[in-house]
Amino acid sequence: MAVHESWIGKALPRVEDRALIQGQGQYVSDIRFDGQWVMALVRSPHAHARITRIDTEAAAALEGVRAVITARDMEAMRRGLPESGPVAPPALAYEEVFYVGEPVAAVLADNRYLAEDGADLVQVHYEPLPVLTSAEQAAKDEVILHPSIGSNVFDAFHITSGDGREALKQADHIIRATLQMGRVSPQPMEPRAIAASYNPVDQTLVVYHATQSVHRAQERIAEITGLDKDHVRVIAPEVGGGFGVKNGSYPEEALVTYLAKHFKRPIKWAGDRFEEFLSTSQEREQTHHVELGLNKDGTIVALVDTYYQDNGAYPGGGAMVSRNTARNLPGPYRIPHMHIDGYTVFTNKVMQRPYRGAGRPQGHYIIERMLDRAADELGLDRVDIRMKNLIRPDEFPHRTGTDSVYDSGDYPADFSDLLELIDVPAFRRRQQEERQKGIRLGLGLSNCVEISAGFGFEGVRLTLMEDGRVMLATGATGQGQGHRTALAQIAADALQLPVERIVVMEGDTARIDKGIGTFGSRTIIMAGNAATMASEGLVAKAKEMAATLLEAAVDDVVFSEGQFSVQGVPSVSMDWTALAERVAQTGETPLSHEDVFSSGVATYGFGSHAAIVRVDEKTGETRIERYVIVHDTGKVVNPLLANGQVIGGTVQGLGSALYEEMIFNEDGQPLTTSFLDYRLPGATESPDIEIHHRDYPAPGNPAGYKGVGEAGIIPSQAIILSAVEDAFNDRGLKLDFAPVTPARLFQALTREETK
Amino acid sequence: MPNITLTVNGTQHHLDVEPRWLLADVLREQLNLTGTHLGCEQGVCGACTILLNGRPARSCLTLAVTADGADIVTVEGLAKDGELHPVQEAFWQEHALQCGFCTPGFLMTSVHFLNENPNPTRPEIREALSGNLCRCTGYQHIVNAVERAAETMRKGANHAISQD
Repeated sequence: MAVHESWIGKALPRVEDRALIQGQGQYVSDIRFDGQWVMALVRSPHAHARITRIDTEAAAALEGVRAVITARDMEAMRRGLPESGPVAPPALAYEEVFYVGEPVAAVLADNRYLAEDGADLVQVHYEPLPVLTSAEQAAKDEVILHPSIGSNVFDAFHITSGDGREALKQADHIIRATLQMGRVSPQPMEPRAIAASYNPVDQTLVVYHATQSVHRAQERIAEITGLDKDHVRVIAPEVGGGFGVKNGSYPEEALVTYLAKHFKRPIKWAGDRFEEFLSTSQEREQTHHVELGLNKDGTIVALVDTYYQDNGAYPGGGAMVSRNTARNLPGPYRIPHMHIDGYTVFTNKVMQRPYRGAGRPQGHYIIERMLDRAADELGLDRVDIRMKNLIRPDEFPHRTGTDSVYDSGDYPADFSDLLELIDVPAFRRRQQEERQKGIRLGLGLSNCVEISAGFGFEGVRLTLMEDGRVMLATGATGQGQGHRTALAQIAADALQLPVERIVVMEGDTARIDKGIGTFGSRTIIMAGNAATMASEGLVAKAKEMAATLLEAAVDDVVFSEGQFSVQGVPSVSMDWTALAERVAQTGETPLSHEDVFSSGVATYGFGSHAAIVRVDEKTGETRIERYVIVHDTGKVVNPLLANGQVIGGTVQGLGSALYEEMIFNEDGQPLTTSFLDYRLPGATESPDIEIHHRDYPAPGNPAGYKGVGEAGIIPSQAIILSAVEDAFNDRGLKLDFAPVTPARLFQALTREETK
Repeated sequence: MPNITLTVNGTQHHLDVEPRWLLADVLREQLNLTGTHLGCEQGVCGACTILLNGRPARSCLTLAVTADGADIVTVEGLAKDGELHPVQEAFWQEHALQCGFCTPGFLMTSVHFLNENPNPTRPEIREALSGNLCRCTGYQHIVNAVERAAETMRKGANHAISQD
């Protein structure tokens, strides 16, 4: 067979899709165990309250209800969840609730209808306690939520680079602003779900889990159930989107797995949309008090930033988001001096945990908005101030002062290309012409660095199957990214096989012993390089086998065009299929090789984005006319999938720039708990996005891959606020809160008028 | 418990259903047609869209008893004898899905739309898809797919989904 062509770089439609487009994809909610009980939860209606009594008798007496669980009756439910930081939430609250939606009781019944009937009958009595809904207020510690920590500020850090705050004195101008981002609820289309079945005979637990990391889930579940890790098998079947929030510990994981073992009954929980709004972690909510020092010509001298992250009731992964925000504050710009104080604070909301971007959008939002502000106040062009401060290629490797070493690309060239594509002078003319007709157009610009991977490992196990196909197993579980296609392309090149001969199995702890998972745009970088390494290992083993079978010395076996042959005797050869047949005939174990790629070197992708918006002054509605990206995503495995990631991320980000905000009232009640109140971008609001590739291979990993999953979402809030301001540049509009919903725009415009 | 008759993807079923059960749950739990997904149970996201007597309907807002006697097509009924419907084929070729959870609803909406409007513009396609939410793709590739399917269907044979 001719296999000479390279699969890497091909825009191959996905191998995943044939099942999915026929309704054959199996998600956790589609799993049905014989005799399963379905779980529904009683959740706290209070943001902060003491539980005084729980009456479960009426619920327990209902026909079809099998059990009603509270932490008062079942002590194990009080234990802190694994992997939860300094304050671990219990599986079920038993003394105090800290956010609306916190689970208080679990009802197990024959189906979801009956379980919800039972949940309705559970009576929980509460004594309301003071509620904290503002991080800055909470940081004053007038009410302390978790006394064991002694403060609501559970993570504080201070970063100084160069001369820090002192350097502001060297600047000609200091621009000051308070900039905020509202809370975003990530909302994958598949709500969280988990189902578990315990076999008491061999004491094994099989868990179907909508998770981004089967191996970390396996560790947690082993801890929760007290089972040996080898007795817990975690399978992530199809996962309907993750975006970070399906990546950590949740009460439902502990409940379903513990109770399945306890009752020796399969148990399933498939959350609904309301639960997704109440109980799944959220992100982005920060308030920054920023000072940017610049010289007259717009050169940045120093950045000083003090910020507060409203982290909700528990640590979750919030400190990581806060710290990653600091790392991203410089963006792609040269900032010689910095001082950053970050405070991550408990409030009475559902916890924050990394959501697609995880600090990258926040950091870029601050620097990009401050550059706009500085340009406006210094009378400079928003384009020029960026060009002046962009890091040049001759400055690589560039140390940012916040733990990154940018290494590749050409930021000014990419930005120039973007400006040319947009034709800024032509836009400025059109903007003026349209404004005469009462139409407000605005141009937003933003540059971003996408920092990916840079920690840990990922493994790939390859096995030559009897029919000559190769199975590729990895712990880097996908949630729609298309790993089964992209990893197959990588392995196909290294094994010199047609791509359809590679079968990728992801998300099953029984297929590979170790793994970290899919988040932080790391999988192609980590598992991709591991796939090449494992392929090389498998080829080496295959050569040995071929040497035996061909009665030649190993050193004389040549692997070329998918054929193992003896040097100088090309007529004597065998391909993978023949090799697999012979292995099967001899009764030997199938050829297999596992390899791990570990790296502490991050990759640094880059993007220059431009958005042209049209704002309806009467309604406050902002529509996106044009959106252009010049993008460096390193070595591209599959352009179709890479563009899918960039477009998808960009549109997701437009939601948090224009529509999406979790609103809580002063009692900590979330008011936006359906898609009617919390608006996701739809097909009519979303633009067609133009992507122009300028791909520079990453120097920090063998294949040159860079992350791509978070690229699109990083600049969205910055760029849209920038564009909307530009539409009102004649009125000096200043926006300091994302998203810029019609109501917020109206308020900001009114504020300008009353000045 | 009421007994109802549903014709689903051409097969007739007589089913005992509780009056409060949603059509989506009956399709998924009783008929094991799990391709119809529940995304919001509020009628907003469109993941549960099916064709009910030839028209798109939210099976999460439809009580199964009210569908007594209805002809229903679900995503499982689109391909015929292993041959994909042009809309399915186009979704595949254009990378119009990532996680795939919302996809069945988009497919059902698109199939009906293209039967009504075989030669749509991009804005018309976006309008037609405005009742379905996707969190992964940003819609662009979905719009590409519907455009491509329209072209295939205009060129090709009659791909109308019939209930017979």
